[in-house]
Amino acid sequence: MRSIVKAVGLNKYYDQFHALKDVSIEVEQGEVLCIIGPSGSGKSTLLRCVNQLEKIDKGGLWVDGELVGYRIVGNKLHELNDAQIARQRLSTGMVFQRFNLFPHMTALQNVVEGPIQVLKRSPKEANEEAIELLARVGLADKRHSYPVELSGGQQQRVAIARALAMRPKLMLFDEPTSALDPELVGEVLSVMRDLAHSGMTMIVVTHELGFAREVSNRMVFMDGGQIVEAGSPEDILISPQNPRTQSFISAVRT
Amino acid sequence: MNQNQAERLQAERKKIENEFDITQYEHVPRRYYGRIFFATLIVVALAGLARAFANGQIEWGYIGQFLTSEAILWGLLNTIIMSILAMLLGVIIGVITAIMRMSANPILRYVAITYTWLFRGTPLILQLLLWFNLALIFPVIGIPGLFQLDTVSLMTPFVAALLGLSINQGAYTAEVVRAGLLSVDTGQYEAAKSIGMPRLQALRRVILPQAMRVIIPPVGNEFIGMVKMTSLASVIQYSELLHNAQNIYYANARVMELLIVAGIWYLAVVTVLSFGQSRLELRFARGAGKRS
Repeated sequence: MRSIVKAVGLNKYYDQFHALKDVSIEVEQGEVLCIIGPSGSGKSTLLRCVNQLEKIDKGGLWVDGELVGYRIVGNKLHELNDAQIARQRLSTGMVFQRFNLFPHMTALQNVVEGPIQVLKRSPKEANEEAIELLARVGLADKRHSYPVELSGGQQQRVAIARALAMRPKLMLFDEPTSALDPELVGEVLSVMRDLAHSGMTMIVVTHELGFAREVSNRMVFMDGGQIVEAGSPEDILISPQNPRTQSFISAVRT
Repeated sequence: MNQNQAERLQAERKKIENEFDITQYEHVPRRYYGRIFFATLIVVALAGLARAFANGQIEWGYIGQFLTSEAILWGLLNTIIMSILAMLLGVIIGVITAIMRMSANPILRYVAITYTWLFRGTPLILQLLLWFNLALIFPVIGIPGLFQLDTVSLMTPFVAALLGLSINQGAYTAEVVRAGLLSVDTGQYEAAKSIGMPRLQALRRVILPQAMRVIIPPVGNEFIGMVKMTSLASVIQYSELLHNAQNIYYANARVMELLIVAGIWYLAVVTVLSFGQSRLELRFARGAGKRS
């Protein structure tokens, strides 16, 4: 299997706070990796480093075989410019906790924005594909609605369609159901489940342990900026070895 | 709900209705005597004012006559041209200053802060006079070795007014634009980046259209303010509406009539602008939820 994401000794600081401590991890093509852990454990930071919403202070990260954010010159890493970083981001799609749909655009406009403006594809083709994507997330009939007119679950599904429209090789989900009312969580998880079954490589930061167990190939438990434990969903959820993992799992379960 | 429960609810309702049986009474609205009193007072005062104007020594005929006289219409045109150009330039300067102000580079940031401080902190009329009299300290301006210009012939009333008004406006607009940019959630920048937009494209396609909703009402107000501020350019001989009206009354001494003529035109322009502003606000309110 080909690795899509490879992180080696990642370190990230916010001023004095050491948010990521020597994190190394690899994600292979077609794999679904779920990251769990208490808030402040660095799981979202790790995810945001992958598509460069956060800058890495030390270590290296490769996405689809390409070193992210830097160019190697001799034994130094030179920062890439804005356009190069933007191009690198094209290989990943991101879904945010707070959806972050563009409020001044309809659902359809949100989905075609990237293909037309960034990928310079023909509007006709982009529109057709966007409608297909909206149908895939069950919202073809809502394509002319503005985000304010949609429920949280619908907004998040449009956000997934928007990310998919860029034809990414990797999808990142940053607590995609945490901002949703309980009755709306299911519809978003079901879209994500379909996506996972279609073979998309996914990294999901989540608190939905049931979903993680069902869909993920591998799970990682993070705490204090470190990967504490990694393994199959059964390893992590049913027979965790590390005491910190054990106490987190039992706290979430109850 | 079963039969028993329904019956019990019904019985309870009956009991309450019997106890407080005013359901058939008519509702009489309260009278606001204070409001009626003050409204009457204002109507009387307005009637008195109207009477004073009707009996005052105003030659109404002059107003009709000068309203469409050539000098006044030229002045009106110059006022409109100057308002539009100065506002356009002011907004451009304002956007650049706002972006500089938010830059990570301290020099860019402090230059923007100092500019705003300087031009908001001094009276506009003083700035206009400074530009107009620039030749007193710099007889020639230009880039040494490249080109040089005679300041007196360059700094016409038009150029001095345009520079004075737009640079002053830029200082105010910068703050409005900055507030607009700050009003957009950081998640929007992140979402734009996540679909591969470089910074400038994200600004143009995602951030500015949302910031416009916050920016347009105050900038519309300032445009209206600008129309009236152009009248200050009369002190540096720019032949706008007020300046031309003054030239006429210096000759014929019909001061009030010509001031009213100028006033009518300023009002007309501002009315048209206010209408345009509300249309523009509607356009940028797309997706902003239902509001009255």
